[in-house]
Amino acid sequence: MAKIICITGGKGGTGKTLVAVNLATLFKNHGFNVLLVDGDVENPNTYLLMNGKLENSSEVSFFEPKIDEAKCTKCGLCAENCISHALLYIKDAIPIPILNVCSGCKLCYKICPTEAIIADSRVIGLIYSTRVNNIDLLIGELKPSEARSAVIVKVLMEKIDILLNDKHEKYDVIIFDTAPGAHCDVEELIQRADYVVPVTEPTRFGRLDLLRIIELIDLLKKEYRVIVNRSSLLGFRDQFLNELNDNNIQVLGDIPLDEDIVKSYCIGVPLMDNHNRFDTQGKGYKSFQIIYENLTKWSGIKT
Amino acid sequence: MERHKNMKRKIVAVISGKGGVGKTSLTASLSTLGSNDSTINPIVLDCDVDAPNLALILTPKRKEQIHSEDVYTTLKANLIEERCIQCKECIDNHFCEFNALRWFDDKQIPEIDYLACEGCGACKVLCPEHAFEIKSVKSGEIISYETIFRFPLIYGQTRLGSTTSGKLVADVKQFAQNLREFQESNIILIDGPPGIGCPVISAISGVDYVITITEPTPSGLHDLLRTIELVEKFNIDFGIVINKADLESPFQEKFKHLIEETGYNILGKIKFDLSIPEAMSYAEPVVNYAPNSSASISIMEIYDRLKNQLWNHQ
Repeated sequence: MAKIICITGGKGGTGKTLVAVNLATLFKNHGFNVLLVDGDVENPNTYLLMNGKLENSSEVSFFEPKIDEAKCTKCGLCAENCISHALLYIKDAIPIPILNVCSGCKLCYKICPTEAIIADSRVIGLIYSTRVNNIDLLIGELKPSEARSAVIVKVLMEKIDILLNDKHEKYDVIIFDTAPGAHCDVEELIQRADYVVPVTEPTRFGRLDLLRIIELIDLLKKEYRVIVNRSSLLGFRDQFLNELNDNNIQVLGDIPLDEDIVKSYCIGVPLMDNHNRFDTQGKGYKSFQIIYENLTKWSGIKT
Repeated sequence: MERHKNMKRKIVAVISGKGGVGKTSLTASLSTLGSNDSTINPIVLDCDVDAPNLALILTPKRKEQIHSEDVYTTLKANLIEERCIQCKECIDNHFCEFNALRWFDDKQIPEIDYLACEGCGACKVLCPEHAFEIKSVKSGEIISYETIFRFPLIYGQTRLGSTTSGKLVADVKQFAQNLREFQESNIILIDGPPGIGCPVISAISGVDYVITITEPTPSGLHDLLRTIELVEKFNIDFGIVINKADLESPFQEKFKHLIEETGYNILGKIKFDLSIPEAMSYAEPVVNYAPNSSASISIMEIYDRLKNQLWNHQ
């Protein structure tokens, strides 16, 4: 069965997507069947780092109450029971749905005594499935101005469940890329993972947010190992790594500042997708090789 | 310090789409510039409730004056076991749209998945035996104090596990509005969360102006365009700050073409400058740590342009 590795980090911009894309590439290079899942549905970036396209979309819909004015008796029962105050009711008037606060619980639809509430829906996001350089990509994308990112993540996870329950499932490794933060979308992905890899940077912000995401990972009782990105920044590497060591935080490896990484990021070709573009003796390249080695040892993923 | 009578109070949110592009560093510097400006009385809010970092730079003047209070605004369902007659109707009739109700075979009662529960109250209303109740649970803390720069900082921090961040963002904003200092202030600066979802929508709702900060990379551009789409849908005036503006990248051309030459309001550009991470490592706003650095000069220009946009434009 496929092993799930979840790349996360707490703080934004530490290099989660960079790590996710390059690890997926490394697993592919070693002959594994890889599925990369972009769970940062507010801003999915994985495909941008691989020059992929958003294709094969399917819509994610969300409940929207509509009032059948002919059937509505203006009793106000729906509004009275709506905890999120998503139905505005003034005595003897037809209630008005306030869609941006609606939780989608459908209680109004279920309790209306005259069936005057129609369960309509609107599209709040899309799921794309595509294949780039022999890596399958599953991407969730929330529509701007929609708030319910968790619904998109849920649909992504349903797809993963179907995959995992399929006897003919072909993947060896599934890599999750999460959103920044430590909210429910991140939690949902960590909860499904076999191995969690928080990516951080050797700064005060990085340290504080790492400790918070580790608290969440511990709460979910998952195993984790940390990657320190931009480790050579201002010469804080050793001090930072020592501090992690003192706190019994295990490290998978560190990635120093490297021009090839910036270049690969900007042209949308993963550093480890070596088509003679990048220096295979470079600092970044070598650090990813070490991280990959440590990751396969730790997770026991073998060819 | 009395604020100028003609300077209407403005609420400004700093957001970014992409994380780690400098929201917090910029907010810290803008707020200290404000505190040194005799016409400005700032209040600063850290609404990145999942990863509040501003307090690392805007430290308290007196530790003993840190005010902290728990917030109980998250709602969760709870089963009153003695009322449950094990009819299983809640499962069979699919009371819960969030699949937070599961049948616990051993005990023959429904079990509530705490993470999935939205606290919508559907189970409470629909259960014929009234065996469910809705309870408020702790969603996090709101911490507030006077900073060493003499303005108040208010920030929220979510309790990890099973809480929604967007609600706490709204709570932080509400808390700030009830402060005595709020009445005397003329600018409320909000350090927002990354992304474009619920917490961001909550952070920008009701603000007068949005600063959106980005960097000239494919992800930076992609996330900026989505942020712009969001801010425009809410009809809020906004300005763009480009961080690491001189990044050597074949992508610069495209970025210039799509952002700088499209008529968007560019509040300013900050070149890559090691003073920014250095300042952070000394826990200082960069405009205090290295006032003559290129980053600081750019931020001072951004500050002046922001003031101009907020008060001279109408």
